[in-house]
Formats: sequence, C-alpha cells, structure tokens
Amino acid sequence: MSGAVHTGLAAPAHERRALRDPLVAVLVGLCLAAALGLVLGRPAPYLVNAVGQLAAFAILAVSLDLVWGYLGILSLGHGLFFAIGGYVCAMHLLAHGTVMTGTLPDFVQFMGWKGLPAYWAGLEHAPYALLLALGLAGLVAFLFGLVAFRSRVNGVYFSIISQALVYVAMLLMYRNDTGLGGNNGMTGFPLLFGWPMGAPAVVTGLAVAALLTLAAVLAGARWLVGSAVGRRMLACRDDETRLRTLGYSTTRLKLRVWCLSAMIAALAGILYVPQVGIINPRVLAPDLSIEIAVWVAIGGLGRLGGAVIGAVLVNALKFWLSAAMPEAWPFILSGLVLLVVLALPNGLLDLAGLRIRPSWASGAR
Amino acid sequence: MNRLRAVLAVLAMLIVPASAAPLERAALAADLCGDGAAQARGSERVVQAATDASTDELAAAGRLLAALAERRLACGSEGALILDRAGAAEGHDALTGATRPVAEARAPVLGLRQRALVETARAAVALLTGESVAARAAGLATLERRAGAVPDTILARAQAAETDPGLRGSIAGAAQAAALSSPDPDKRRAAVAAVAAAPSGAALARLRALRSEPAAAADLAFAQALDVGIASVERAVRIGDGLAILYNGLSFASILFMAAAGLAIIFGLMGVINLAQGEFIMLGAYATFGVQEAFRRLAPSLLDLYLIAAIPVAFAAAALVGIVLEALVLRHLYRRPLMSLLATWAVSLFLVNLVRVAVGTQNLQFAMPPYVSGGAPLYADFVVTWNRLFAILFAAATLALTLLVLRRTPLGLDIRAVTQNRDMAACLGLPTRRIDRLAFGLGSGLAGLAGVALCPIYSVNPGMGSGFVIDAFMVVVLGGVGSLMGTLVAALGIGGANVLIEPLSGAVAAKVIVLVGIILFLQRRPEGLFAARRRR
Amino acid sequence: MSALVIDALTVAFGRFRALDALSLAVDPGEVRAVIGPNGAGKTTLLDVISGITKPVSGRVMLGDRLDLTRCSEAQIARAGVRRKFQKPSVFPVLTVRENLAIGCGPDMAPGAREARIAAVLGEVGLAVRAAVPAGALSHGEKQWLEIGMVLAAEPGLLLLDEPVAGLSDAETARTAELIGRLRRPDRAILVIEHDMGFVEAVADKVTVLHEGRTLYEGGMQGARRDARVIEVFLGR
Repeated sequence: MSGAVHTGLAAPAHERRALRDPLVAVLVGLCLAAALGLVLGRPAPYLVNAVGQLAAFAILAVSLDLVWGYLGILSLGHGLFFAIGGYVCAMHLLAHGTVMTGTLPDFVQFMGWKGLPAYWAGLEHAPYALLLALGLAGLVAFLFGLVAFRSRVNGVYFSIISQALVYVAMLLMYRNDTGLGGNNGMTGFPLLFGWPMGAPAVVTGLAVAALLTLAAVLAGARWLVGSAVGRRMLACRDDETRLRTLGYSTTRLKLRVWCLSAMIAALAGILYVPQVGIINPRVLAPDLSIEIAVWVAIGGLGRLGGAVIGAVLVNALKFWLSAAMPEAWPFILSGLVLLVVLALPNGLLDLAGLRIRPSWASGAR
Repeated sequence: MNRLRAVLAVLAMLIVPASAAPLERAALAADLCGDGAAQARGSERVVQAATDASTDELAAAGRLLAALAERRLACGSEGALILDRAGAAEGHDALTGATRPVAEARAPVLGLRQRALVETARAAVALLTGESVAARAAGLATLERRAGAVPDTILARAQAAETDPGLRGSIAGAAQAAALSSPDPDKRRAAVAAVAAAPSGAALARLRALRSEPAAAADLAFAQALDVGIASVERAVRIGDGLAILYNGLSFASILFMAAAGLAIIFGLMGVINLAQGEFIMLGAYATFGVQEAFRRLAPSLLDLYLIAAIPVAFAAAALVGIVLEALVLRHLYRRPLMSLLATWAVSLFLVNLVRVAVGTQNLQFAMPPYVSGGAPLYADFVVTWNRLFAILFAAATLALTLLVLRRTPLGLDIRAVTQNRDMAACLGLPTRRIDRLAFGLGSGLAGLAGVALCPIYSVNPGMGSGFVIDAFMVVVLGGVGSLMGTLVAALGIGGANVLIEPLSGAVAAKVIVLVGIILFLQRRPEGLFAARRRR
Repeated sequence: MSALVIDALTVAFGRFRALDALSLAVDPGEVRAVIGPNGAGKTTLLDVISGITKPVSGRVMLGDRLDLTRCSEAQIARAGVRRKFQKPSVFPVLTVRENLAIGCGPDMAPGAREARIAAVLGEVGLAVRAAVPAGALSHGEKQWLEIGMVLAAEPGLLLLDEPVAGLSDAETARTAELIGRLRRPDRAILVIEHDMGFVEAVADKVTVLHEGRTLYEGGMQGARRDARVIEVFLGR
C-alpha cells in the first residue's frame, strides 16, 4: 500500500508517486542478500537454521497481514493452516524416508501398526504432497470462509470463531488414533529428497529456500495489494457496505484472498517443519495463533514489511530469551504487546519517525 | 429326677416349635466338644437360631464358637472350659463362668469341613451382635460368601437392627441376593419384584447373573419373572443415567453461564472481548483458596464456611483487577475492538504467569465441606451430588442478582443505556467512562464468582482459565451480544449439547459438533439468539 | 412504467415499526424528495431499497421486473441502483481516482472506465484533486466524491441520503445544480433532505413520511400548505 507523508493537507500528485513505500523492496533485497550470504559465508548451522525458521515465520506473518491489514479480517486461527502445511510435509518426509530406508517411523511402531495408514499413499512424492498441503489448506479455508462470510460474521465474532476452530483442531490432533502421531506428533525425519536431514547442505538449502520463498511471497503480495484487487481489498476493509452497494460481491473477494492467505500460511508450515524437525499438536494451540497476530501488530499492521519485521523481531527475541531467561519471556511478550497496542498503534514502524500517518490511513482498529 | 427332667424336656420340645430351638449353652458346648458331626450340628443350630435368639444367647454362643476356632476350648467331664488363650492353665466354665483349672480337659479337634460351618455361625453372630461397624461388616462379608447356607431371616433381622446406614445398605444387598436364591419360589419372585422396585446397576448385574444360571432356566415361571424384572430395571437404570447426564449438563452450563455472563455484559457495553476472562475465573478460585487458608489459620473451627465467605472476596478481588485493567489499558483502546482483544490477551498471559511464579503450577487442594461432598441418591444410579448442586444454585443466584442489578439499580439502567446508544447516553450526561469501568468490574466479578463455584468440581491451577474461555466465547457469540437471557439459553444449550454428545462420541467430537452447530446457526441468524435488531 | 414501486412495505425492529405498509411510486425521469421528521423512516426506506435491511412484508419493484427485497446488495447495485449514504462514505486510503474506479462497478470495461472517470471528475469538479487520498479531502469534497462514485456507473435509480448535510450555502447551491444536471429520462432520483430550500429547488414531487407511513404526496407548494404536514413537520 502506498504510504505518504500525511499531515492532513493534500500532497501534490508528483510528490505522492515518489513516496511509494520502499520497505518491501528493501526487504526483498535483504532476503536475496541473506540467501547469498548463507551459501557463500557458511555460518554455523544453528544460525542458518534460525534464519530459516525466522523466514518461515515471516511468511506466516505476511499471510495474516494480507487478510488482517488489508481486508480487516482478524483471524486468530491461522495456526490451523500453518499446521496443515506442516503435517502434510511431515507425512511426506516420513513416507519418503520409509520408502528409501525401509524402516517404519517411530509413531507407527509405537501404535503397533504394520505399515503407514492407507491415506498416506502417494505422499512420498513431493509434488503430490505439496499439492495436497496447499489444496487441503485452501479447502478448509474455503469451507470455513464460505460459512462465515456468507453469514456476515465479522470483526471480533470471526476472531473468536477462528480461535474455536483451531482449538478444536488441536483437540482432534491430540488423539492417538488419527495416524498422525497423536500427542507426540511426528519427528525423526530421516531424509529430504534423498539427502540426510542433518547435513549442512540440507540445512542451508532449507534456509535458502525459505528466504527465497519469503522474497517471492513479499513481491507477490506487494503486487496484489497494489493492483485493482488490492484497492478493492482496502475498500472492503474500510467500508464493506459501501463496496457492496456499488455492485461488488465482497463475499467472493474475501473468500479468494482468505484462501490465498491460507495457502501461503500452509507454505510457511511446509518450510518450517523440516527445519525444526518435529510437528505436534502444540502448533495448533490457540495461544500460538494469537501470537501470529501479535507479530503483525508489533511490526505494523497493514504494511507487509511491518509484518516481516514484527515476526523476525519477536521470534528472534523469543529464541534468545528462551535460552537465557525462559521465565521472563511471557512477561516480556505481554509487556511488548501492551506497549504496542497502547502507544504505537501502527506498530514499531511508528518509532521510525519517518511517517506520520493519520488515523484513517492504517487498518489498526 | 433325671427321668422327670427328660420327660419335661421332651414335652418342652413338643410345645416349642423345632426351628426356634433355644440356644441352650450346655447343648451347644456339648456339641462343640463332640465329634465332627456334632460340631456341624451345633454350628448349624446356631445359624438356625440366630433369627430369633436373644442377643445375650447369641453372644454366648459366639464366645463358644470363637473359643473352638481359636483352640481355646477345653472339653472335660465337668463341662467345657473357655480359655483366655490357647494352652492356658485355667479357664472359665462355659456355663457358669467360674474359673477352673484345665486339668485333663482337652481341646477338641476342628476339621476343615467343620471349620467353614463354624465360621459361618460366628459370622452370623458377629453380624447380629458385633460391637463395631467393622466387626459387623466383617461378619456380613463372610456370610455373603456362603449366602446359600444362611437363612434370609438373619439378614432381615440384622438389617432392621443396624444403625449404620452404609452397612445397612450392604446388608440389604446381601439379603436381596439371598432372597433371590431362596428355595421358596414365592420368596424368589417377591425378591425379584423387590429388586426391580429399587433399581440400580448393581441390581441389574445381579439379576442378569441369576438369569444365566441353569437353575433359573429350569423354573420357567421364575425365568419369566426375571426377564420382566430385568427389563424394568434396565429401563430405570437408563432413565437414571439420562438424569445424571442432564444433571451434569446443568452444572456445566451453570459454570459456563457465570463465566460468560460477565463477558456478555462487557462485550455488549464496550465491544471488548475480554480474553482474560478465564484468568478472572482463576483469580476467583485462587481467592477462594486464600480464604480457606485464612480460615485454617485464624478460625479453624469455621473452616467449613470458607466457601461461603469466599463469595464476596472472590467477587471483589476479580472486580478490582478488572477495574484496574480497564483503567490502565482498555480505556485507551476505546473503539478499537481488535486491539482490545490483543491487549486482553497480553493481560491474560501476564496474569497466568504471575500466578505461576507467585504461587506455583501445582493443583490447589481444597477442603470439602459437608455441603459439597457426597450426595443424595435420587433414582437408580443417579446421585444428586452436592458439589454440582452448589454450582447450579450458585449460578441461579448469580443470575437473579445480576438481573436485579441490571433492571432495578441506577447503575444497571446506566449500563443498559450506554449499551444501547453510547453517544446518546453521553449527550444526556451519563458518565460513560465511569460506567464502563464499573461494568467491567461487574463482569470480572461475575467471572470471579464462577471461580468460587467450580472449586469443588474442577482442578484449580494457573492455566485453568483457558479451558473455559473458548466455551464462554461460544456462549456469547451464540446468545447474542449483551443479552443476559441469550447468555443463559446459549449456556444451557451448549452445556447440554456437550454433555449429551460426549458419551456417544467422546469429548472432542462433542466440541467439534457443537462448534459446527454454532457456525451453522450463525449462518441463519448472525446476530445470535437474542440480540436486538438494530439499524446499521 | 414506473422506475420504482414500493408496495405495502413494512419494516420492524423488534416491536417498533419503522415502516408501516408504506406505498410509493416514482416515475422515470422524476426527482422525488422524501421528507419528514426524524424517525419517520426515511433512511430505513433507503436501507430496504438498497438491500441492507430486509422487510417483514411488502415488495420493492424496480422497473416492474425485479423485486429488490429478494436480492443482495451487490445484485441490487448491479441492477442499476446507487445510493449515496448520509455519512460521506468514501474509501479514505484510496485516491479520488481510485474511488471513482471502484464506483464504476465490476462490470465496466477498462477503456470505458477511464473515460467515465474523467467525465465524472469534471462533473463533480474534483479533477484537480484526482490523486489525493480521499481521507484528506474536505467534508464538502467528500460529499461530491461520493456523488461522483454513485454516478460513475450511470445508475437507473439514484438514492441520495441528505446530500447537502453540512454543506455551506454555496456548496448547497452547487449540489442542487449538479442534481439538476443529473436528470435523465431513464433515471429516477430519490432524495432525502431536511433543507427545504434545496428540496424546492431540485424536486418534482415531494413525499412526506411520518411514523413509517405516507402523510402527503404532491408538489412542494401543496406540502407547505397542508395542515397535517405543517403540524407534524414544517411548523409555521
């Protein structure tokens, strides 16, 4: 979305054009540079892994910012789509590993089964797994969105129901008979495309893939919100009735962007799980889905770059503090959220002092 | 003289009915000192006489039997001696009690076969004359193992004489079992009818076990009576289970209502969804614990009243925290519902971890005063447990008080006015910010009350709030914004649905179905059950 | 053939009847003013026509063919109905030009869209402000922008809810003139207003609403003289 210096007076047209928001371009450049750096510089594997995970979280934050910042839909259940991508990816890795090594995964042996459950068939093929992950996320999003948007469920109602949705999904995943690892989840992924998971080349490759995907997602999202569809998204966010009474089916618009967002979130899950090496139902915890919204809010709602910054900052802080002062992290997080919500309505980017945006310009509400 | 005595004895035996033969100590002592057959006869006589014999006679017989079993009986030409311990030098005469040396008296041998009979007789005596409940219960246990050998009249007498209600119930059960196996077919049929009249899961099992015995198959009339009885008891047990489910649902709905009522008021008034509502419940529960500890330390004799005393304390504590939250945080987030949501989430995170660090993560232990322990059996296996009844009554009282406040007090009027039209209310001079603060306090206080009500039922720990919050949200969303009646109906609906579906498909499926149901319902009626229709 | 026929329309909020078996007909080419005291049901009437509120009973027929009470807001808009809201409802983060582009509706071809935007910019006098975000406009400019947005798709039925609320005299006169220019034989215009001078300047006929029902229907002169209208609304 083009930002501009607004002090309440009109800016001449030529001035406006020149002030197009460069943040996204800067971040895309940073991603590419970082990817290059990881390949050439050969930093320590744990650092590479951390960068890769942060990139995955950033993609997740962008997916939420698309529907929250630009459509005004606060989903507190995006963890569900993230988990769908993660679980399908885990299934692929385990199926692939089973086919290549001939040994069944731990959780199958734990349940006393003879082989992988029937519906796992075909998951050792990566393209199919990818399609399944994105398709499933899109389908779930479609069904939920159809019911919610058609019945005009908006605002906090939607947020609450999305929380309930992810909560119920968590309860379902905790059962041990689903063939998805139950409360222990799935771990012990042996191979990625035939390569051993712990190998430095694989770690770097995953992180680079995550960075490149982030760059692509950022560029794509930027293009979307700058297009006519993006204009309509903003119109829908600010005054849905006005848009409807001009002849637009806002339900269809919301549904499309909502499904796209879900698929991007699933993509983030696909990139995350191989890097962290495990998936279990705790990724479906309602609190985690709220944290995604916290990343976006802290970084700057309605600015794609802000979502990335928020995700990277909060998670980097969490990584660091979880090692140094684990007890303090919840207090710091709640303090950070309160600070941002009370003092910095446009997120940390308000501190940058570069832009003073009037109240109507942000989606913060 | 002996001949006269013998004639008189025969006459006496002719006059008195044979089954009510008095427990003549001398005869019993003679039998027990005799051979195996005599011992069996003597024991049998005790059992048969137990129904009518006096307590003293039974006690005396019991002492003889105990002496025999414990090898403390010494039999000699002058009569039997009861020793204090096996191998003692002297003992008490069995009839007179006078002390005599053992001399050539020797202990009779108690064979294995006879031992069982002696134990049965002893058990019968113990059941009827035992000093303590434990002694009588032990006697009952032994008798139950040999139910066939025991006349049901003994059990009837024991049941009538028993003072302890629990033991009486057990005796009744044993009597039932004995009656069912009675040789008299009329008695058996009467027993089946009696069992059917007092249905329970245990009775059903007993009847079913009897039905599968070959003896039952042989007697057709009895088998039919059993089938009828089984069908009737089955139906009663099902009804009882159904009642239990409804009762549990009602208590769950009560807690839900108290948790959601505050949420509904706050949301209707300020459009704020308070994600910290679960933590206010937790604060209420912890305040209750605090009151309990205070009572324990300062007034231990009044400990049982801690739950009652905690009611105002929990309300005040939660309300206070709520007011502080509103004043410090929410006041600045006026008209920004989504940001308020995140802010209250941050506060909830803070509160949970504050309590975790300050008090610890362990479940709190609560004393259970008598008015929330146990229950009254109502029908079949359905027991009206007092702790759930406490929750239900508490919720009803909360509803009544909240309605009173909302409908009859000036504050309530102000709250309703600001809920319906904030700007107009402000124009009319109502201090909307102050009303917000007080209403938030009211809403949080209600959550605190929910915390008190659930202490006797659920486990209390820092993270307990999250289990209720999602359900409470669903109640608010379903019931309609700001409507207390809507909250009530929705709480009953969701609580009931959860509890009804759970035994069929499991707790998780219940939650899934309820959620899907709510979403579909909102599809047709997005404003919820009771929300007022308003212009855009 | 009427452009708009409202047939025994009843709208209730709880027990309160905002519209009570209201009937009304507007001819094509006509400018009809709907006036009345606050709470008479004027805005509710527009809400029903544009599909935001569903009635308890009654029909709203657009051009004898389409019953609007059975359509969604988007469908109604695509049938050629446009509404300007009481509160200026423009999209503040989008530029004037982008607002108008959306106003053209989803069905217009891109080439035609550009031409139309240029034309409307001229009509409402905002050509010089085309690249300004709508949130930065003055109140009067926002009103005109919204009028421009609803004109962009050349609607057959135009609903204007208090178009001159908060405007200065000069701006009001300009708006009256604009509406005069909007007349077309195939377009019906329904205006809700409180400014009687403005109503007299633009309207062909006047419908006076009171408590959800029609109190008077006819020319403005007749309305000014009608005893009941005076008592309920106009005063002396």
